[in-house]
Amino acid sequence: MKYIIIGASAAGLACAEQIRKEDAAGSITVMTGEHYLPYSRPTISYYLKGALKPSDMYLRKPSYYAANGIEILTDTPAREINRENKTVKAGRKSYAYDKLCICTGSKPFIPPMKHVEGKANAYTFLDFAGAKILKQKATPNTKAVIIGAGLIGMKAAEGLSKICQSVDVVELAPRILPSILDEASAKKVQKYIEEKGHIHFHLGDTVKEAKSKDKRITSLILNSGKELPCDMLVLAVGVRPETQLAEQAGIETDRGILTDPATMRTSDSDIYAAGDCTVSVDMLDGSKKILALYPNAVYQGTAAGSQMAGGNILVSGTYAVNAIDFYGLRICTCGLINAQGPQYTDKTAQHGDRYKRLIFENNRLVGFVLINAGENAGIYTSLIENRTDLAEIQTDIFDTPSLFMFEKAQRQKRLKGESV
Amino acid sequence: MKKVYAKEELCLNCHLCEVFCKTAHSLSKDVIKANKYEQPAPAARVKVYGDNKLSVAVNCRHCEEPKCVKACITGAMTKDKKTGIVSVNEEKCIGCMTCLAVCPFGCIQTGKFAVKCDLCRGEDEPACVKNCPNRALVYTDLGGAEV
Repeated sequence: MKYIIIGASAAGLACAEQIRKEDAAGSITVMTGEHYLPYSRPTISYYLKGALKPSDMYLRKPSYYAANGIEILTDTPAREINRENKTVKAGRKSYAYDKLCICTGSKPFIPPMKHVEGKANAYTFLDFAGAKILKQKATPNTKAVIIGAGLIGMKAAEGLSKICQSVDVVELAPRILPSILDEASAKKVQKYIEEKGHIHFHLGDTVKEAKSKDKRITSLILNSGKELPCDMLVLAVGVRPETQLAEQAGIETDRGILTDPATMRTSDSDIYAAGDCTVSVDMLDGSKKILALYPNAVYQGTAAGSQMAGGNILVSGTYAVNAIDFYGLRICTCGLINAQGPQYTDKTAQHGDRYKRLIFENNRLVGFVLINAGENAGIYTSLIENRTDLAEIQTDIFDTPSLFMFEKAQRQKRLKGESV
Repeated sequence: MKKVYAKEELCLNCHLCEVFCKTAHSLSKDVIKANKYEQPAPAARVKVYGDNKLSVAVNCRHCEEPKCVKACITGAMTKDKKTGIVSVNEEKCIGCMTCLAVCPFGCIQTGKFAVKCDLCRGEDEPACVKNCPNRALVYTDLGGAEV
């Protein structure tokens, strides 16, 4: 059996490892356009701020791949999938497959802005190569402007604020981190970051045009009329699934690659897809969405790999779960943070710098936002994943979650380590 | 593999498991220094929940398919193929706590890094088990059902 995986990040690596677990003999080739062995994408901001050595960014030791019979082809961007011949063209060579998995991830979304395209000091912040350039170019005197206050933009801002004295963030939405925070908690986090990081926010605003000199941006004019001096622009508005290869091959897509949500098989029965390039179905409300989150990519890659090798692992539950920190402030979120509709209610508890917001659908927990209050958050996550009826819960749901939330038989099951 | 199992009907809520866990994971390995003076203060990887009526000490289940390992965004959390021990590489851990957000047992503590039970890394008997005065903690490879 010949397996090819396109993309060597979270989903691609999980897929390769699962195939190897279930098929000791097949040949596994993982191709990536990047120059590096599989590394952790989310750690690029830790590299930027100097908290992590480049050698600690790699997901496995270099010797791991040969020892497990996984061939990683770096600097090998896939160019074309030929479904008739079952080959992938990459570089000048053509590689045959029996089963293929597309794990091409995300690409940055760059909204049209006057006079920004092609400028030498406009950057994106999505991969190791991009992070290396920022680290190389940023100096204490750099006036950095980040467009986008989502997870990527805010992590870029945090990293750059450790190097540059001037960091501005422009965001179209009226609040920071709109995908993981509600209005009230976003305000708290924003205030904290302004104080700790000396970052200036321009919310509900966007870049109208750039002024430049010799192909370098010198300042940005915002919609509000403000002008920000700028000698490093980071475009972090958002990401979109990278679907080009799949689309060219005639595989069904709709914003992302469409798959069976349990097996991750695409419209071609020998081709699977996993991770940020796919459309996920959120188990909590049945909606189709792009869930570009690390654990989701690993779960999907694992299921795809198992199915490709003839195994029976399925994607069990798909929902958003995310943990992130800014200047020591820990934010942990899960589920439907911005749920709209009469069936949803929410309750908030605040105490000093601790913030806990729980979102309910009738008598079930469907989401949480925990700021500096993440103790045992995984127990909340398991209540969400298992659709637990809260009438069964023995303690106040706002108490620090523990196994005493469950009645004796359930608690014993967990103490014995049976899967829940 | 050998794991630590807790018996709530025997737990005295004395917290000695926490005291000796801290000691075992301290620099000084001295019970007084580790629990009173050492800075940064060592963290207990086992935690007693409940009250004097009913309590239990909870620590890592070292799952067969650990969610924390799957969700770890840096590759810092791994399950050792030979020993089965799930542990954190503190050089690689960035303290994001995604592991904590997915652990259904509540076995990971917040620290600069993810803090969790490492079964005292190959000791004959983990410190919590060795020092439990009422044998409410058992270290066995018989599995939870036999305890």
